[in-house]
Amino acid sequence: MIRLISRERPGWRDRAREFGFHFHTMHGEPYWDESAYYQFTLKQVEDDLEAPTAELHQMCLAVVERAVRDEELMRRFRIPRDHWDLVADSWQAGERSLYSRLDLAYSGQGPAKLYENNADTPTSLYETGFWQWLWLEDKVNSGDIPRSADQFTSVQEKLVNRFAELKQHHPGETLHLACCKDTEEDRGTVQYLEDCANEAGITTRFVYIEDIGHGEGDLFTDLDDQVIRWIFKLYPWEFMLRESYSALLERSGTRWLEPPWKALLSNKALLPMLWKMFPDHPNLLPSYFEEELASSALTCFVKKPIFAREGANVSIHIDGEEVLASEGPYGDEGFIYQAYCPLPKFAGNHTLIGSWLIDDQPAGISLREDRSVITQDLSRYLPHIILGY
Amino acid sequence: MKRTASINLARMRKAPVEPCRLALVAAIAVAVSGCSDSREATAYSDLEDCIEDNPELAQQCRTAYESALAEAATSGPRYDSELACESDFGDDSCQVYQPQNASGSWFVPAMAGFLFARALDGNRYQSSALYTSSYYRSPIYGKWSTADGRVFGNGRQGRVTVDNDAFKPKPAATRTMSRGGFGSVVAAKSNFGGSSRSSSGSRSWGG
Repeated sequence: MIRLISRERPGWRDRAREFGFHFHTMHGEPYWDESAYYQFTLKQVEDDLEAPTAELHQMCLAVVERAVRDEELMRRFRIPRDHWDLVADSWQAGERSLYSRLDLAYSGQGPAKLYENNADTPTSLYETGFWQWLWLEDKVNSGDIPRSADQFTSVQEKLVNRFAELKQHHPGETLHLACCKDTEEDRGTVQYLEDCANEAGITTRFVYIEDIGHGEGDLFTDLDDQVIRWIFKLYPWEFMLRESYSALLERSGTRWLEPPWKALLSNKALLPMLWKMFPDHPNLLPSYFEEELASSALTCFVKKPIFAREGANVSIHIDGEEVLASEGPYGDEGFIYQAYCPLPKFAGNHTLIGSWLIDDQPAGISLREDRSVITQDLSRYLPHIILGY
Repeated sequence: MKRTASINLARMRKAPVEPCRLALVAAIAVAVSGCSDSREATAYSDLEDCIEDNPELAQQCRTAYESALAEAATSGPRYDSELACESDFGDDSCQVYQPQNASGSWFVPAMAGFLFARALDGNRYQSSALYTSSYYRSPIYGKWSTADGRVFGNGRQGRVTVDNDAFKPKPAATRTMSRGGFGSVVAAKSNFGGSSRSSSGSRSWGG
C-alpha cells in the first residue's frame, strides 16, 4: 500500500458535469482528490481487506442475532422500547438488506482494525462504485496507468445484481427512494441507487424524507398520494424510531431498505459486543461500555457516542487526558470506549479505508484522507489501484 | 478482475440541467418509446361489448373486466371534494367511496372502460382500467386515461395503440392526512453550529 502523486485528468470537472457528479467540491474545499492515488497489491486487497470484511460482517450479524433475543441488549443499543418488536421481527423474518461499509484502519501491513460499521446509511457509494472506476478507465486509456492495473470496485455490478434479486421478491412493485432536503451529497447517492435499481428493471419514484405522508388506512404516501410499499431511505433508523411517524411503522406494512434490524448493526454498541463475543480477534480493537471502562485497563482510548455521524462528538484520551475532541450535536444516548489505534499516515495525511459490502459480499474499497486524526465530513476521497500480486 | 466488468455509461450520463434541453430530451424519449414498446389493444366501454366482440373469449373478458375494476379501486384517482373530481371527469361522473378501515370517504370517478389485449407471451389477456371525461376543459376530454395518467386514443370504444407500460401494475393511491412525521431529528441537529463545515444546509445525513 503506497501513495503515489498523479496528474489530474485534464477536464475532469467537465466529465463530472457530464455524469452529474456535482459534489466533488463542497464548501469551497476539494472532496474528490485525484492529485494522488493509493496502490495495493492483490494480496493486500484479498487477504487483508476482502476476507476480513466478509468475516467481520458475519461476526456483526452474530451480534444482531443475539441482541434481538435479549431485552437487556436492546436497552444497551438504545432501541426505544416501543420498537423492539419492529427491529426483532424484521431480523427474524429475514428482511433483506442492500449494503454496508466497514471503516478500517490499515497501513499495508498487519491486520486491518475495525473502527465502526456504517450499515444503515453509508455514503460515498457513487464515488466508490462509479466515479473512481471511471477515473481508472480514463487513466488507463490515456496511458498514465498500465492496462494491467485493477481496482477493488465491484460495487456497481453487485448492486445491480442485488436489485435484480430483490425485484424477485417484490414483483411489479415500485421502489421509492428517499433522502433529506438540502443535501446534494445525499441526493447524489440516492440518484445513483435509483440508476442501479432501474438498470435491474425496477420502477422507481423519489420522495424527500420530510415529504413522506400518513395516508388513510395507516399507509405511507408520497407527494402524489401514491402508497409507499417498498422504500430505500438514506436516513438513519435511530432518528426514525424517535419521530412522530414511528408509531406507524409497525402498522403500515411498508418494507424498508435498509430493514429495521440495521438499527443494531450501525450502532456503536456493536463494538463492545463484538469484543465480548470474539475477544482478541485480530481485526477488532478492544471496546467497552461505559460501566466496563474502569475494569478494562484501557489507558489510551477513543470515546464515541452510541449514535453519531461523520466523526462528530468523538474524543481521544491518552493516559487520562483528553487530547483531541470533535464537536457535534450527539452523545445524549451515551458512549462506548475503543482502544486508541491511530490511522496510518501517508504524506502527512491520516488515511481511512471504507470496505463495502453489497448484502454480505465484499464489493470494494474507498479511501479518505484527513488532516486530523478524526476523519470528518471534510475529508477528501482518493482513488486507488491494484498492481502486482 | 476485482472491478465491475462494464458499466452502461449511457445510463450514468446526466443531461445538463437546462430546462429547454430537458424538455426536448423528454419529448424524444416519449417518441422513441412510442415506436419501440407499444402494441395494439382494444378499449371496451363495458363487459358485454367485449364478449360480443370475442364470443370465444368470454371468460377472458370477464377476468379482464374484474381486474380492471380492482385496479380502479386500489389505484384510481381520489378526491376530497366532488367538485374537484367532476372538474377532471365531468358532471355525474364521480361517486362517494368509503374504503375499509378508514374513517373518511372520497370522491372517485367511475371507471369508463377497460383495455383488453393479449399478453406479450401470448397465452393470457391483460387489462387496465380506463377513464375519460365529459367536461370539455378536462385534459382527458375526448381521450382515454389509465389510472396512472397515461393519456391516449379518443375516448371511444375501439382499437388503440398503447405503450406496453399501460399494463404494468399501478401503485396504489390513498388520501394523505398529514406530512412531515419524519425528518424532525435532522431539523433539530441542523441547528447545531459547531460543524467543521462553514455553514449548515448541505450536511450529509448518511455517513
